[in-house]
Amino acid sequence: MATRLYLSNDTSARAAGAAALAEAWADRSDIQLIRTSSRGAFFLEPMVERDGADGRIAWFNVSPQDLPAILSGKGGTPVQTIPFLARQTRWTFANFGETEPLALDEYQARGGLSGLEAAFRLTPDAIIEELRVSQLRGRGGAAFPVWNKWKVAQQAKGERKYVVANADEGDAGTYCDRMILEGDPFRLLEGMLICARAIGAGRGYVYCRQEYPAAAATLRAAIHKADEAELLELDGEPFPIEVVEGAGSYVCGEETALLESLEGKRGVVRARPPYPAQSGLYGCPTIVSNVLTFATIPHILSRGGAWHASLGTEQSRGTIALQLGGRVKHPGLVEVPFGLSLRQVLEEFGGGMAPGSRFKAVQVGGPLGSLFPATGLDLPICYDAFAKAGAVLGHGGIVVYDHETDMVDLARHFMAFTADESCGKCTPCRIGSVRGREILERIQAGSGTMDDLRLLDDLGETMKLASLCALGGRAPYPVLTAIEHFPAEFRNKLSAVHRQS
Amino acid sequence: MKQILNQVRSEPANILKSLLALQEQFGHVPGQTVPVIAKMLGVTTAEVAGVLSYYPDLRTSAPGRHVIRVCMGESCYANGCGRVLRELQERLRADVHETTPGGRFTLDTMSCAGNCAVSPTVIIDRDLYGRVLPSQVDRILEKYT
Repeated sequence: MATRLYLSNDTSARAAGAAALAEAWADRSDIQLIRTSSRGAFFLEPMVERDGADGRIAWFNVSPQDLPAILSGKGGTPVQTIPFLARQTRWTFANFGETEPLALDEYQARGGLSGLEAAFRLTPDAIIEELRVSQLRGRGGAAFPVWNKWKVAQQAKGERKYVVANADEGDAGTYCDRMILEGDPFRLLEGMLICARAIGAGRGYVYCRQEYPAAAATLRAAIHKADEAELLELDGEPFPIEVVEGAGSYVCGEETALLESLEGKRGVVRARPPYPAQSGLYGCPTIVSNVLTFATIPHILSRGGAWHASLGTEQSRGTIALQLGGRVKHPGLVEVPFGLSLRQVLEEFGGGMAPGSRFKAVQVGGPLGSLFPATGLDLPICYDAFAKAGAVLGHGGIVVYDHETDMVDLARHFMAFTADESCGKCTPCRIGSVRGREILERIQAGSGTMDDLRLLDDLGETMKLASLCALGGRAPYPVLTAIEHFPAEFRNKLSAVHRQS
Repeated sequence: MKQILNQVRSEPANILKSLLALQEQFGHVPGQTVPVIAKMLGVTTAEVAGVLSYYPDLRTSAPGRHVIRVCMGESCYANGCGRVLRELQERLRADVHETTPGGRFTLDTMSCAGNCAVSPTVIIDRDLYGRVLPSQVDRILEKYT
């Protein structure tokens, strides 16, 4: 009989070699290859598993010629003993590495759909009350209380109401939405259905960025399966969900720009209020939340809001999906309750620095997030502590930079990104980012002055205070924190006559 | 063109969806087709031109046979995507947004592929390469003619 082996079909696992493995073993009749989601321990990918007496046994960084050892059972590690995984508290990502993403029966066998069943037993008001008790805050960046937004949409009058999943995960360094879309798509659909029932919506959309082709394809297949199983219905009415792909614009991750793009227009930011919960898609009440937020909701309904509120810190309840990247030894996905310090996360999960590199700075929250030097590593990972430090958790991306990083070039890189991605609607962002990039290029070229550093500071303040959305408003943070923590690097690049002033 | 636009036609007209469908079929959306598209969708030419010029993925001229995109996201940056990009520029003798003579490759960058845990990332057409070293660039390019 063929031996069952498990191999991830996740985009990053495939890029790390899983695709080549599957191809090399395609003709082997002695193995049955099950394509699962990834456990997110990407430093171990491609990882091949087989069933053991006490759970799965894994082989790490596998190449095609390792197959005889795997088949004979030599050298495997029990998955439950891998420290990177054993130290995590996985709820939203509990299925990862275990199930086939499109196997609805496996999803159900592991507790899937029980949140939706619970929602069907409750009134819309009671669902929102459960969300209030849970203290769930949106995982997208603004961290707004989810129940509050739902309440507004529920009470708003509209010809139609919509539920929109924001799958435009544009922050560099983040990939947990992609993993959910590819690895556990029914969890997103379940969360969207619960929301639709609570607010009385009749239609759902998933706005997926063009950079995630595998995610869009998996999701479409999941919607088809859910439809066949007659799951896309609410109170006897159909609840169609459509996947719409974007076209490479970062700012479309902002909820109002996303709605413009969903309507087929230029994805520029709308002035708020009104908020989408009052007037969103085609002017109708619309809940826009990101994939991770929707994926968190099924457990809250099945286990109760109080359970969720029992995890994490006072202002940040539940778990956070951290995505480790950059020069860390163990890059990958980490789900833990809020409250661990950055240092703990980098040491206990990240495994310290990549071989041969020394720590210089860490950035949390994507290209608009602040930079921290080593002295900032004791900051606890939760919304309140970050807000107090003038920083953001964003979507939980953590990128570590090593001693080779040139901070002036990195600052220019950030400003150039904002200049490229600005939607152009407001002047501080459109003009400010271009001017910011020019100043940094001048410093890079060795002709900058002390006045240029002061100008960057001034420009940053204007962008922070006067921009229409977070792209312009947050863009100065990585640049100004780079200057704050690594002033010598900037001063040393100024033209010779200005270095001393 | 009419057939494609009829297929994606929804009320109200969705310009982006229409342009993406045309690009999927023809590889790009030439600027001179804008008035025709506008008329068929029942919107102004300014609206169509505005959408066409706004989104980085919409092209008004045909790309090379293979499109190479180098991810410039932070994790890729920290792991040396700049060196990979320079290697590609030298090998191809082409700058970013340029197509090589003969039309074999178009070189582009992207802001993040979401492949941060196995960075740096290079995408060629639909193939994704992770943990790319500059020394591997030659061998990867060989696969594409």
